[in-house]
Amino acid sequence: MGFFTDLWESATPWSSAEAEAVSGGTGTDSTPAQGGEAGEGEAADKNASTSDNKDGDDDAEEPEEEEEEEELEDPQEKFQEECKESKQCSGPKHHFDECVERVTGASESEDKKGPSEDCVEEFFHLAHCANECAAPKLWAALK
Amino acid sequence: MLARSSCLRAAGAVRNGAVTVSKRAASTSTTEAAASPFRLNLAGGAATAVAIGSAAWYYHLYGPTAHAMTPAEEGLHPTKYPWVHSEYLKTFDHQALRRGFQVYREVCSSCHSLSRIPYRSLVGVTHTVDEAKAMAEENEYDSEPNDQGDIEKRPGKLSDYLPSPYTNDEAARAANNGALPPDLSLIVKARHGGCDYIFSLLTGYPEEPPAGAVVQEGLNFNPYFPGTGIAMARVLYNELVEYEDGTPATTSQMAKDVTEFLNWAAEPEMDQRKKMGMKVIIIGSALFALSVWVKRYKWSPIKTRKIAYNPPQMGGKH
Ligand code: HEC
Repeated sequence: MGFFTDLWESATPWSSAEAEAVSGGTGTDSTPAQGGEAGEGEAADKNASTSDNKDGDDDAEEPEEEEEEEELEDPQEKFQEECKESKQCSGPKHHFDECVERVTGASESEDKKGPSEDCVEEFFHLAHCANECAAPKLWAALK
Repeated sequence: MLARSSCLRAAGAVRNGAVTVSKRAASTSTTEAAASPFRLNLAGGAATAVAIGSAAWYYHLYGPTAHAMTPAEEGLHPTKYPWVHSEYLKTFDHQALRRGFQVYREVCSSCHSLSRIPYRSLVGVTHTVDEAKAMAEENEYDSEPNDQGDIEKRPGKLSDYLPSPYTNDEAARAANNGALPPDLSLIVKARHGGCDYIFSLLTGYPEEPPAGAVVQEGLNFNPYFPGTGIAMARVLYNELVEYEDGTPATTSQMAKDVTEFLNWAAEPEMDQRKKMGMKVIIIGSALFALSVWVKRYKWSPIKTRKIAYNPPQMGGKH
């Protein structure tokens, strides 16, 4: 994580990792390029990959090819939804919802008065907030 | 010599000129100010008005810049993600590169070329020699002309470049509703926001565009694409590819992997550059340390000398 731990990790000879023969496939869990265990994105790969299908039943615990039949959930979607509902994004969410209501209401009642409006900017603000909130969680969950 | 004398003469002329000018100015002010202070004030006032007016006119013409961009035209700025390769002392995640190449090959390569990447450059980065050779051999390339001058096809070699999906840009446009899928070799460097932008673009397609947004025929709503209407539809869906290392192929995982791979494609020398940077720091600091010790050594006689002054004995008593 930190600059100095990085420095230490890359300077110590014993933390060097050999690239494994890749043709075998499933065998290599730790990323060869990152000797240490405290790397940013790959925090405990195995755990991360299994926690992705937490929603599945017990048999989905092992990420093996055959048992992936359960609907795979994208962690990004999950985190973004959570973030949109969170207190952090309540402001933009409120504005977006209000805008959607106004615009759909205006298009349904046929007597259009003002210029037609869209909710793109409100959408941007909400998406920006949700992404900022979800980004670190997502990177911890992805391999 | 010549130059100097002429210079001197010129300077003399200037001095003389200045003297005459000041003389004349003095004479006019004395005569006319006495005659009409009103006309002088008028002249001064008019000159000031012209100065201020022209500056104001200039500001009116060129001062305010027009900001015609709406946020939608600019596009949503991508979120910053903590990419592992952007850390100072981390290399590329080569397993991610391998997965990313798989995504490129199975998904993107049907529309996008990657024409600056030869198979040989994958060796030792994402694949072994044998794997890369086998992949190259799956494609056919033109061979050298044979004895009859005909060009035959031969299986690919390591030195061949990845094949492009279309023979030229026109064919690519024709197949994609008029939009050209750009070559992806340098795309990470060619777009503002780099990796963050590519990742956001690939994962940013909402279920449906926000209320009231106008999406042109044949385009898809993507907030990150400037103008929000992009000709490329969403391409990544969960479990589109099956990773050989068992990583769950979610949309965001595939997008992350392919983005890292494209970043490698745009800057394959990054690992080497970081290594070289370490060497420079090591050698530089070693030489600096050495120089400090050498300086200490060289200066030690000077720093440790003692200057003594013994006043001469005055002869006799005062
Ligand atoms: C069905 C064909 C198709 C596939 C498959 C496809 N693309 Fe595209 N892509 C396009 C087209 C067409 C454009 C041009 C869009 C435009 O200019 O509006 C494009 C544009 C892009 C751009 C440039 C956007 C910009 O800012 O100009 C990127 C980056 C990109 N694609 C990445 C990918 C990646 C990565 C994949 C694989 C995961 C992929 N594409 C798969 C058709 C495709």
